[in-house]
Amino acid sequence: MKNPTKHFSHRRLGAACGVLPFLLCSAPALAAGVKAGVLIENTATATYTSGTATGTIQSNKVTVRVDELLDVSVAGLTSSLAATGGGQAVLAYSIVNTGNGPEAFNLVAVPAAVGNDFDVVVNSIAIDSNDNGTYDPGVDQVLGAGAATPLINADASLKVFVLVTVPSEVADGKTSQVTLTATAVTGSGTPGTSFTGAGAGGGDAVVGQSGARSSAEDSLRVEAATVSLTKSATLLNQFGGSTPIPGAVITYRIDAAVSGSGSVGNLVVNDVIPAGTSYEPGSLKLDGSALTDAADSDAGAASSAGIAVQLGTAAGGSTRSVTFKVKIN
Amino acid sequence: MAIHDAVRAALLFLAASLASTASAEAAQPLELHSDVKVDKIIVAEGQSKHVLSEPDVVVPGDRLVFRTAYSNTGTQEVTDFVVTNPLPAGVALDPSATVPAEVSVDGGQTWGHLAALFVTDAAGAKRPAQASDVTHVRWVLKSVKAGEKGEVTFNAIVR
Repeated sequence: MKNPTKHFSHRRLGAACGVLPFLLCSAPALAAGVKAGVLIENTATATYTSGTATGTIQSNKVTVRVDELLDVSVAGLTSSLAATGGGQAVLAYSIVNTGNGPEAFNLVAVPAAVGNDFDVVVNSIAIDSNDNGTYDPGVDQVLGAGAATPLINADASLKVFVLVTVPSEVADGKTSQVTLTATAVTGSGTPGTSFTGAGAGGGDAVVGQSGARSSAEDSLRVEAATVSLTKSATLLNQFGGSTPIPGAVITYRIDAAVSGSGSVGNLVVNDVIPAGTSYEPGSLKLDGSALTDAADSDAGAASSAGIAVQLGTAAGGSTRSVTFKVKIN
Repeated sequence: MAIHDAVRAALLFLAASLASTASAEAAQPLELHSDVKVDKIIVAEGQSKHVLSEPDVVVPGDRLVFRTAYSNTGTQEVTDFVVTNPLPAGVALDPSATVPAEVSVDGGQTWGHLAALFVTDAAGAKRPAQASDVTHVRWVLKSVKAGEKGEVTFNAIVR
């Protein structure tokens, strides 16, 4: 709706600002718009003198009923949400009824947008029933297909969630936008369009500046990680040389480098003891720190068959280094 | 008797005030008629013009023109003719239109030109009154001759 304060002439504001501190120059905010259905009633009174008598008369009362203004503003609340390929994601939006009467809104979420690296699949739209800003499955009401929001009072807002599935096999750093559009159930279109008798409070409904329709985008970004393993070997025989003779010791080093903005979970480095060699007991190390051979509380386990080191979750950018020794038989 | 005199004085006063009320009502040489229109700005061929229409559809932000027509239907001139109009709840005086010369921002207690009035905000600070602070408007005419007609208007915006 229009803000009447913007009609103040520059001359008047200028004069006021010239003699008063800056803070007083700003126009006071008016109260929220008059609610739909309110009656504006006007009566004038006149007093006069006629001869020696005085009189008072009143005019007739004129009444104007305020009609419903249909206006809405949608804002995206989720930006660059970290998501994983093949996973679920929740995008939050706020719908503000900027009209002057209680109104319900139809919601449409569109996953395709210009500039998208990929498009998600929209599963459903839910309203933040308990108004805590977080999607709570089983608590927050999922809107059925084609169902509108409950009535939102004038100047009130409603948070909604768009639940999406991210396609698998999306590369690290790829982004996607999802657009949510809210449209007044009573009607929308060119500002000024009126719907006779459809307004809250018994009057008409009139499309406001927003066209009774508003959209906003949320965005998400896929975070993925990849692991590359590099194995190297160093040989040292009992004579200080590097000739592979029985009794020489080979130190194997396996570097697990994680790259990408995400992380990998349950990362385990396994290796077998090569034929013709024997594991050197107690030689297993992770990042230079010794691990026991027994399968116990530390990350490593080693036997004559092979080694295994549990690295758990490893973030992109980290490198873990596993070493162990074998002796040539 | 003192008591008798006092009662008689009171009765005389009562009779006098009854007579004065009766004569004022009997005279009623004036008529007031109010109406309201919506002031739409129509832009056509680059020109914008104001068009007044019936207030069939009114929403916040719309401009309204409240008009009060007066007519002296008696045979005598009336003097000190003052039309007072409290602003209806839900509208604010339109500062972009002509503001009546006498307005009040304190419920009709004090009057003056809008630019000369001040209001005190919630924090106790005084600031110049603005059109949205106006609570009443009025028009003061020295006289309205017998048979004379006229009208007064003010422009308001639906809050």
